[in-house]
Parts: sequence; structure tokens; C-alpha cells
Amino acid sequence: MHESAIAKSILEIVSQRLHSIGAPATAHNVSVVFGEFRNAEPESVEFAFDNMKAFYPGAANCQLVINTISAMAQCKRAQHKYHPEASNAYRCPTCDSGIGNLLQGEELDVVNVVVELDQTE
Amino acid sequence: MHESADEHTMERILNKNDELAEHNRDHFREAMTCTVNLMSAPGAGKTSLLEATFRMAGRKFSSTVIEGDMVGELDADRIRKTGVSVHQISTGRSCHLDANMVARLLHSEKMEKTDVLFIENVGNLVCPAEFNLGEFKRVVLLSVTEGDDKPIKYPVIFRNCDLVVFTKCDLLEYVEFNLGEAEKNIQAINPDVVTMQVSSKTGYGMDKWTSWIQSQIEAYRQEQKQTKHVHQHSH
Ligand SMILES: Nc1nc2c(ncn2[C@@H]2O[C@H](COP(=O)(O)OP(=O)(O)OP(=O)(O)O)[C@@H](O)[C@H]2O)c(=O)[nH]1
Ligand SMILES: [Mg+2]
Ligand SMILES: [Zn+2]
Repeated sequence: MHESAIAKSILEIVSQRLHSIGAPATAHNVSVVFGEFRNAEPESVEFAFDNMKAFYPGAANCQLVINTISAMAQCKRAQHKYHPEASNAYRCPTCDSGIGNLLQGEELDVVNVVVELDQTE
Repeated sequence: MHESADEHTMERILNKNDELAEHNRDHFREAMTCTVNLMSAPGAGKTSLLEATFRMAGRKFSSTVIEGDMVGELDADRIRKTGVSVHQISTGRSCHLDANMVARLLHSEKMEKTDVLFIENVGNLVCPAEFNLGEFKRVVLLSVTEGDDKPIKYPVIFRNCDLVVFTKCDLLEYVEFNLGEAEKNIQAINPDVVTMQVSSKTGYGMDKWTSWIQSQIEAYRQEQKQTKHVHQHSH
């Protein structure tokens, strides 16, 4: 399952951010975006993330916030903008040509990590 | 609370993999080896295509193979019988090769300097699509027994490849596979892709395939000549 590899990569980025602070800190949440044209199934990634986070210091209670980004294509023939759909074989509904460019939908990014410095007495 | 978004902008989740892929690319560049990542569903004919290639194109170019398999060395043994050297990566429970597995191999085993390195990925149309290995070209095999609708069901892998090879074309007369339809479905997702038909069993289309490989070897060399600047290569 490559979803666990994706979850692991997210946790490594969280760990790195915690480390870069240079003081004991805790991660509250991490926001990621998954484009529709990437093979990342949110539920599977979340399941793997929650199963692994305890192994990453400071991330045991970190919440994963996933936003999916729907695809937006520009057709090959006339640059019409459209949402490519499997039911239409990803073709342009206006002129039936295929995907020229994908303007969005290929994201697989961490956009934000919220961390808090640990209290020290 | 401290939002670390201020200090760091967005980061690609598979950043680490991409960095390692770049590192692998440096290794391939040093050896001037054109690297081809072969991907398909299980049993679409990746190993058979390689066997046929080495049988038929023995003298046209020299080859090495990396075999990625979850368990065993069945495919590696088949390649060994052709006389081509093969390196095995056992992926265990992982359903794809990643750049780190390839990097570990490149650092632990002496690789031959051949014209081309074929990397046979784990049979799977989903996971391998997400992991760059540092390859020069990506090839997807679609066997005619799988159905012409597969590009629609697995758009990511068909969008992110340079060549689609329709395999087992000797079976076309026995199955409902509309080549025109399959081709149209692929073009709609990936307009720049090249497609071709082969049968590893009869040899049909093999000349086209070996010519494509030769043209990629040439293209790779040209590209390296043009981008000849000093590359930092550290381990
Ligand atoms: N008729 C016919 N059968 C083929 C052809 N190529 C492969 N096969 C058969 O398809 C089956 C799978 O072939 P492999 O070459 O092992 O496929 P693969 O993609 O390497 O399989 P995995 O590595 O397990 O994913 C074998 O039984 C082959 O004999 C072909 O061109 N024609
Ligand atoms: Mg095989
Ligand atoms: Zn259009």
C-alpha cells in the first residue's frame, strides 16, 4: 500500500518542522492537499497516518487535515477549461478533444503544520 | 501557537523520494545509461517483453535489468537465462519500487555500464505511478486481455508515461479489445504519448520497440551533452 508511504512522508515532514524549531514542541495538526489526479486515497492515508504517528516524537496527537483539489483541465484543441471526468473519458465536453494541460489536480503537498512549543517550568 | 507555514512554504509530500530520484539520475548520468521504468498490471508481459528484447536485439544495444518483485527471484532468474545481468530488489510488502530502494541498490552493487537499464517495477497500475526512480523514460504496458477501458480506470499512470505498449497482440483475435478505442482513451489523457503494438510470443512489433529503445538511447546521450555542467554527486 503506497498510502502508508505517503503517510510516512507527511510524518517525516512534521518531524522535520518540529526539529527545525530547536526547542521541544508538539505538532497539533498538519494540512495537506491531494489533487484528484494523484493516487492518494484520503481515508487510507488518514488510517495509516493515525496508526504511525505515535512513533514520531511530538506527533502522537497530530491531526491530519486533508483537502482534495478537483482537477481542472484545458483542452488540447481549443483551451476550453473543464473538469475531466471518467464518465466522459476525460474529454472536453465542448469540443471532445483531450486534456492539453492540467491546470490543477496534480497536487500532493503539505501546506501547513501547526506546532506549539512545549511548556517548561 | 506557532504556524510554521510562515517560515516554510508548501512542500511536496514526496519530496524525499524526488530528491533521491535526482541522486539516482546522477548515478545513471555517470554511467551514461538510459534508464527505462517498465510498469503494468501484474502479468501484462513485462518480463516476457524483456526476454524477447534480449533474444532479438542482442547486438543492437547492451542492457542491464533491475527486477522489482515483492517476493522471490522468479523474474530475475528468467532474465539471467538470457545472459543479461540482473539486479534484484525485493520490495517485501511494498507494492511499488521507490527511489530509495533503487538508491540502496546502486550503492551496494556494482552496476554495469550499459546503453540501457530496464527497471521492471512491481506489477501494479496504481502505486508505481507516484514514485519517480530517476528514470529517463516511463513505459506502461497494457495487455490486450485487460480491456481497452483500463486507461480510463487508471488515468494517473497513463498520463505520466512516455510510451504505452499494447502487449500480447497475438491474442487480439480472441478478445474484445478495440485498439482504436484504447488509443483514443490514452490520447485523451496524455496527448503526447507514443503507442505501439507487440507480441513477445510471435515477435510482432518487436522491431518498432527496439527502434524506440535505440532512439531513446540516442536522445539520452544528446540531452546529457547539452546539459553538460558539473553535477554535485555526494553520498
Ligand atoms: N500469448 C501471449 N502471452 C504472453 C505474451 N507475453 C507474455 N505472455 C504471458 O503472460 C504471462 C505473464 O507474463 P510475464 O512476462 O510474466 O508478465 P509480467 O508483467 O512480467 O508479470 P509480473 O512481473 O508478475 O507483474 C505469462 O504466462 C506469459 O507467457 C505474449 O506476447 N503473448
Ligand atoms: Mg515480471
Ligand atoms: Zn475543448
